[in-house]
Amino acid sequence: MRVFIAGKGTISAIGNNCTESWEALHSLRSGIGRITILPTIYADALPAGEIKLSNQELADAAGMDACTSRTALISAIAAKEALRDSGIDIKKYRTGFISANTVGGMDKTEIVYSKYLEKKTDTQLTGVVHHDSGSITELVADVLGINDFVSTISTACSSSANSMMYGARLIKSNLLDVVIAGGVDSMSRFTISGFNALMILDNKPCVPCDENRNGLNLGEGAGYVVLVSERVAKDLGKNLNIILSGYANANDAFHQTASSPDGKGNFLAMTGALKMSALQPSQINYINLHGTGTKNNDLAEGLAVQKVFEKVPHCSSTKCYTGHTLGASAGVEAVYSLLSMEHSTIIPNLRFETQMKELNFAPSTSLIENIELNHMLSNSFGFGGNCSSLIFSKTSSI
Amino acid sequence: MENSNETMSVHGEIFINGASCISPQPTFDNTAFLTEVKTHASNKIYAVEPNYSMYLDAIAIRRMSRIVKFGTTAGLMALKDSGIENPDVISTATGYGLLEMSQRFLQDCVASGEGIVSPTTFIQSTHNTVSANIAIIIGCNAHNNTFSQKGFSFESTLYDAFLMMQEGAKKILVGAYEEVGEFNYAAMLQAGELKKEPCNNLETFHYNNNGCILGEGAAFFVLENEKRANTYAKLIGFHTFLNGDNSNFPIEEIEAFFAKQGIETSAVDVVLTGINGNKQSDNVLQNGIEEIFANSTTAAFKHLCGEYMTATAFAFWIAAMMLKTNSVPDVLVLKNANRKPTTILVYNTYLHYHSLMLFQNV
Repeated sequence: MRVFIAGKGTISAIGNNCTESWEALHSLRSGIGRITILPTIYADALPAGEIKLSNQELADAAGMDACTSRTALISAIAAKEALRDSGIDIKKYRTGFISANTVGGMDKTEIVYSKYLEKKTDTQLTGVVHHDSGSITELVADVLGINDFVSTISTACSSSANSMMYGARLIKSNLLDVVIAGGVDSMSRFTISGFNALMILDNKPCVPCDENRNGLNLGEGAGYVVLVSERVAKDLGKNLNIILSGYANANDAFHQTASSPDGKGNFLAMTGALKMSALQPSQINYINLHGTGTKNNDLAEGLAVQKVFEKVPHCSSTKCYTGHTLGASAGVEAVYSLLSMEHSTIIPNLRFETQMKELNFAPSTSLIENIELNHMLSNSFGFGGNCSSLIFSKTSSI
Repeated sequence: MENSNETMSVHGEIFINGASCISPQPTFDNTAFLTEVKTHASNKIYAVEPNYSMYLDAIAIRRMSRIVKFGTTAGLMALKDSGIENPDVISTATGYGLLEMSQRFLQDCVASGEGIVSPTTFIQSTHNTVSANIAIIIGCNAHNNTFSQKGFSFESTLYDAFLMMQEGAKKILVGAYEEVGEFNYAAMLQAGELKKEPCNNLETFHYNNNGCILGEGAAFFVLENEKRANTYAKLIGFHTFLNGDNSNFPIEEIEAFFAKQGIETSAVDVVLTGINGNKQSDNVLQNGIEEIFANSTTAAFKHLCGEYMTATAFAFWIAAMMLKTNSVPDVLVLKNANRKPTTILVYNTYLHYHSLMLFQNV
């Protein structure tokens, strides 16, 4: 049973939809810059990939109330785009919404919490009703009109890769016909402070996979794909020809916030995905690296990549465009991989200068066009040792 | 095992071969089944915590937050109970996540003007901390998931287990954990969602006012596709649905579920319901259940564990224990039909999240 990709949608610092995002990627335009929307003392100190729309503007685009968590607003925009792109009438099928995020409605909670701590007895605490991750998914499912099944995965930076796997499995097991799967995260002071406390934020635009990399930039965004069964793919009559051919979730089982020195979890995720798709490493045309820009991730990932691939294919990290969108990153990057496949184009790393001395490969540094892309691997690794890889493949159309 | 071609309805045989439960009751020792029941005189009730030193080292005990301790320990306990060291899947759930550490980090840093602080509380605020801890402690590189979807959180792990079994996974650890967070408690109190104090948990269903008692706990299970000497019971089917209108009893959903399971509703010996002390929704549930399951024993559990998003994991433990011990503790019973428990339905509701889980003895 093949699981087809019937639609996609994304929003991030480089664009409010797929078209704008592709235009930015294709013209090598980064969205990382000064923080202007989120009120934070780090606005000038820590560059980030922020969506340059106010909550009101996002709410107008999403068709939701402006007092809703920013996380739900950007999730709804991307999920709606994905559903629209698929052209599916969800009333005709058993449809689920499997999303992912790491901090739910924290953007609202942190505002209310500050007031609460000042012991203002009249503080309205209703702002925390959408604190939990599942609330965000529920709000968006309501906007989409999905009520057959909703779920949320929260496995740190691999979250939305796992939501896509879960969605694909629900379809393969005939529990659902259509799943909108992916994830979202919005910027919050909570997240900035946390990553800052971990001392893994670069105070300049990040340089993933570079010998002189110095940390990551945070970002916000959402990315969703519409996964459908073969039957639905046939029904749609759109000659769909891309499938989610392989995926695996493995755990590094090493440390809460650091990768094992040899990237064991990363290796297991990539080899697991290859095994499921029945592909040889040499058949992969491109790897969308997790490539955060931290010393630890890029080394562990790089070592695992060169262990899996005798000859490392073209690869790059698109986090130099968007920043690290955390729970959304696998969703956002899945959409970018699919756009690359559609346009037969590989998007290069930005700002790359020096190959890492431990590695025998370097990421692509200039746009490669008119290249045949049949199989693409996308990596996502997170805190808690959560490592996930996805493979998208071209197949005979249905 | 197979799906039943209905939306999110699973039918099969999943054997429960290990179990653990840390709850506001003394439940962490599976040799006793609610022989002792604890009364908490509050509208928020906390877990009775075991001695962690058998499972965690001294540094971990000092550093970990309460939920990370009791969540991780419950996971390790279930594995030990099953005799399995390294499962093929670890799939866990938490509705609210790790509230205590999230709030401490918020307090440390965001509320104090984003100063420089220790990352320890931030690290332990991440939802997947418990699942990751278990993997690190036992050295498990397998599929590792953490779900967070209100009243479908724990249920999502059951689907994950089922889906992974379809692909050949044999030994699966599932579980859920939740903690009372002071801030959320304050918000629920302000919103009128909790019982007015003075109150106590054992009287949850007997007050005339609305609201529930906030609870917490962790429960973990080892699921396999074959029966073993220490099997508690088998899960033969489950189903989740969103009930948009909780003033109507979803009789059609329940009948369709039983039709797909190939089991008569009259075969159910015990129905364990998720009533929580909210009069209106409790009445709808209880009346509906009395009608369909007129000859079954009806029972409840949230007066023991309180209401929380993953309370179904507590009910799962109760069902497994009832079938293993062949007993229905009086403290659970709402209406006694004096039937030996061989088939048990857990029907939980968390707001509009409804779930059905059907168990049989082995």
